[in-house]
Amino acid sequence: MGLFSPWFLAGLLALGLPLWLHLLRQFKKTPQPFSSLMFFERQIQSSSKHRRLRYLRLLALRLALLALLALLFANPFIKRDSLLLAPRKRTVVAVDNSFSMRYQNRLSDAKAQAAQLSGELFAVGNKTARVSSIEASDEASSYGEFARAMRLYEETKSSALDVHLFTDAQQTSMPNAFADLRLGPLTSLTIHEIGKGAAANWAVETVSVPARVFDSSTFRLTAVIKGWDTNETTKNVSVILNGRSIASRSVTVPAAGRVEAQFDNLPIAFGAAKGEVRISPNDDLPNDDRFNFSIERSDPQKVLFLGRPAESLFYKAALESSAASGLKVSDNDSDFSPYALIVLNNPGTLDRETSDRLTQYVSNGGALWIAAGPATVRAGTIAISGEAVSGTREEIDGNVHFSAAARITPSAGDRITQKFSDEMPIKIERTLGEGRILIFASTLDQATSDFPVHASYVPFILNTSAELAGSVGGRSSVTVGDAIPLRRSNRQSASVDVIGPDGKHEIALGEATRATAFTPEREGFYQIQTASGKHFQIAVNADRRESNLAKVPAETLLLWRNTGVSSSNVAGKAQAVSEPFSLWRYVLILVLIAAVVESIFASRYLSEERRAA
Amino acid sequence: MSNRFLDPTVLAGISGLDLVARTVVEGFVAGLHRSPDFGFSQEFAEYRPYTTGDDLRHVDWNVFARTEKAYLKRYIGETNTELVILLDSSASMNFSSTGVTKFNFSKFLASALVYLAHLQRDSAGLITFHEAVTNVVPPSSRQGQLMRLLHAIDKAETGARTDFSHPMLQLQQFQKRRGITVLISDFLAPADVIIPAVEPLRYRGNEVILFHVIDPQELRPRFREPVLLVDMETQDSLEISSDTGAYAEKISAHIAALKEEAFDYFVIRTDQPLDAALREYFAMRQRRN
Repeated sequence: MGLFSPWFLAGLLALGLPLWLHLLRQFKKTPQPFSSLMFFERQIQSSSKHRRLRYLRLLALRLALLALLALLFANPFIKRDSLLLAPRKRTVVAVDNSFSMRYQNRLSDAKAQAAQLSGELFAVGNKTARVSSIEASDEASSYGEFARAMRLYEETKSSALDVHLFTDAQQTSMPNAFADLRLGPLTSLTIHEIGKGAAANWAVETVSVPARVFDSSTFRLTAVIKGWDTNETTKNVSVILNGRSIASRSVTVPAAGRVEAQFDNLPIAFGAAKGEVRISPNDDLPNDDRFNFSIERSDPQKVLFLGRPAESLFYKAALESSAASGLKVSDNDSDFSPYALIVLNNPGTLDRETSDRLTQYVSNGGALWIAAGPATVRAGTIAISGEAVSGTREEIDGNVHFSAAARITPSAGDRITQKFSDEMPIKIERTLGEGRILIFASTLDQATSDFPVHASYVPFILNTSAELAGSVGGRSSVTVGDAIPLRRSNRQSASVDVIGPDGKHEIALGEATRATAFTPEREGFYQIQTASGKHFQIAVNADRRESNLAKVPAETLLLWRNTGVSSSNVAGKAQAVSEPFSLWRYVLILVLIAAVVESIFASRYLSEERRAA
Repeated sequence: MSNRFLDPTVLAGISGLDLVARTVVEGFVAGLHRSPDFGFSQEFAEYRPYTTGDDLRHVDWNVFARTEKAYLKRYIGETNTELVILLDSSASMNFSSTGVTKFNFSKFLASALVYLAHLQRDSAGLITFHEAVTNVVPPSSRQGQLMRLLHAIDKAETGARTDFSHPMLQLQQFQKRRGITVLISDFLAPADVIIPAVEPLRYRGNEVILFHVIDPQELRPRFREPVLLVDMETQDSLEISSDTGAYAEKISAHIAALKEEAFDYFVIRTDQPLDAALREYFAMRQRRN
């Protein structure tokens, strides 16, 4: 027998308490004079012995109760040999239907072999399905995720698993850490490798194209064509926009290498367009011979500059120096909603109406750039955002001289994206509702720095403004499995929507007010509406790692199998194991019995004393 | 009517037995005056010629001045009864659970009785005893008898065991006429031993009053826990539990056995005022008148 928590036996020291109490109440032997004993009966002497016996019995019960309590907390156990009966064996048939299984007939071969093993029908929850109904997906396979799922399944079902995995054993499916492939102690893995030998494949690996075009009717596109395990070959690269081929050229793809195909001045009409780069002739994995992209041509977005007219000169000049920014400064501030960005230069204390309007604008998804200046320093706080401003400082950052940069104290939730050498923030970003606020520690003119006269000023203004307004930096395509953010805040009143390639809503109505991101599972074009009310189109492509059909080395697969058990061991062998069996329940029963008996004896003893008193 | 000066715990705080006696009796008499049932009359009845030994305080000097002959005033109720008090001074009389021992209580009672007798011009005497007679003051009504008696009561001390037969013999030697014999004791002996010893007191027409002085703890002993008791007279010891068994029945039977006899038997607890005992004595005194 042993104890799980032997330190609780220190509670046996508490046995001293009833001993001490009972000793204090020992029968007093001090003689007391009495006038005459003639009326007392001799038998009383023996009843006092009986009483003493009852007293000692009560003491013994109390000692036993305390000892049992200490033992209960110490949690005793005994080693008990038990026969680990052969766990029920479950056969798991796993068919890899990742993107790469579309190569030649691999998926159909896998399904046929699986059906041969397990039969055509299999259970999916409460329903049955046919092996033949398994379809290819656009997702990438991950053996690490698969192994984790099998471990969880074994643990949940508490049964042995005989796993048969029908897969193309793709090297890119292996996790970074081999430990992620670990199987459960009762799992045996049999890998049925589909497709032998090397498989040559070409794919459109990437396409670089701006997500939005503003002031031009043309755009530039760069596509990268790559081959895996291939010989040198010539491929025809076509650019298709809204189903119509707008450009095409031939490229030579080196053996097992990549080539870049650039297309300039591709025409584009106003609005969103669905684009595709396609290579031909197709190979045995035709799905990666095309690459989807989304592009939109729109008018430049409006930027509102709030400040004195003289203060906007430098900013306006920098912004409008490049048409590619897609931004145009406007001075009309009657309604904030049409503006993609509002610049607040050197704001002091704003009036209530303006403050409320700006707050509403940002909360609804707008972007606000606050450039702190002398008026801001006098006000002591940053308008709208609320950070404290405590004076100015002179600093040289790079070769830019800040003569009176504001000392800003960041608030909770602020993200400092740029600092001076002494860690004081230059740029602070934060979110407010669905929108964003950028705080800059200096004005955008020459009032507090000579930044506008430096070469870095223009790209700074362009990039920052475009990034805030969302005019650049947006993606024309994402990969299957990437999360597309739908809202910035947890504000649940605004609903979101995603329409998939088949025109169906991808988010249920009940989830529309709660969903924070969307993860596409198949290729195609998706229409996205965010919580801030912005609409955009995005293209989804399969993970191009699936295009690399290189196999996992056989030794690696063998090592993976050996992390589990061999299938013969899984088949019904009982094992004798010695495991601890906790006795706490029985000790608890004894404690309860002792407590009940002690209370009965104690009440009898007390009633005797009361009668005597 | 309650009089705090009849409370034994109050009397225990009074120094001087004579003062105690006076306090008790005057308080008692005052109560009698207010009671319609009792009268303590000092009403003049007649004159009698002075004889040698009579108390000169009772000589009517006005008559002497007129007649040059000494005459004593006699009052109603004055019958010259002889009172003899037998005071038990055995060791058991020292027991107390109330702060006043039985012996002190008995002394208060005895001194009050002799003082009362003095007021009524009765002759009074005292015999203190335990297993032997320790002191005898023959009854007399001479001048100074009261102080002699009070002094004898005051200096009495407890001794050993109780023997009722010895004082009875002594009493018979000097008791010349009928009177009242008051036996103050805790009567801790078997009833069949006490009664034959006390019976001779009734010879020659004496009135006998037995005052059974008892402590409340003796009547209903209560012990919180088992104790070892030691008999104050025999020094025997006995371990007693909080359950005293049939003690109460036994002592009740003992009291009943004593009460059955034709004595005037009166149980008085040491936590009770003395007026009940005095009233008992006074009633008997009135009957003799």
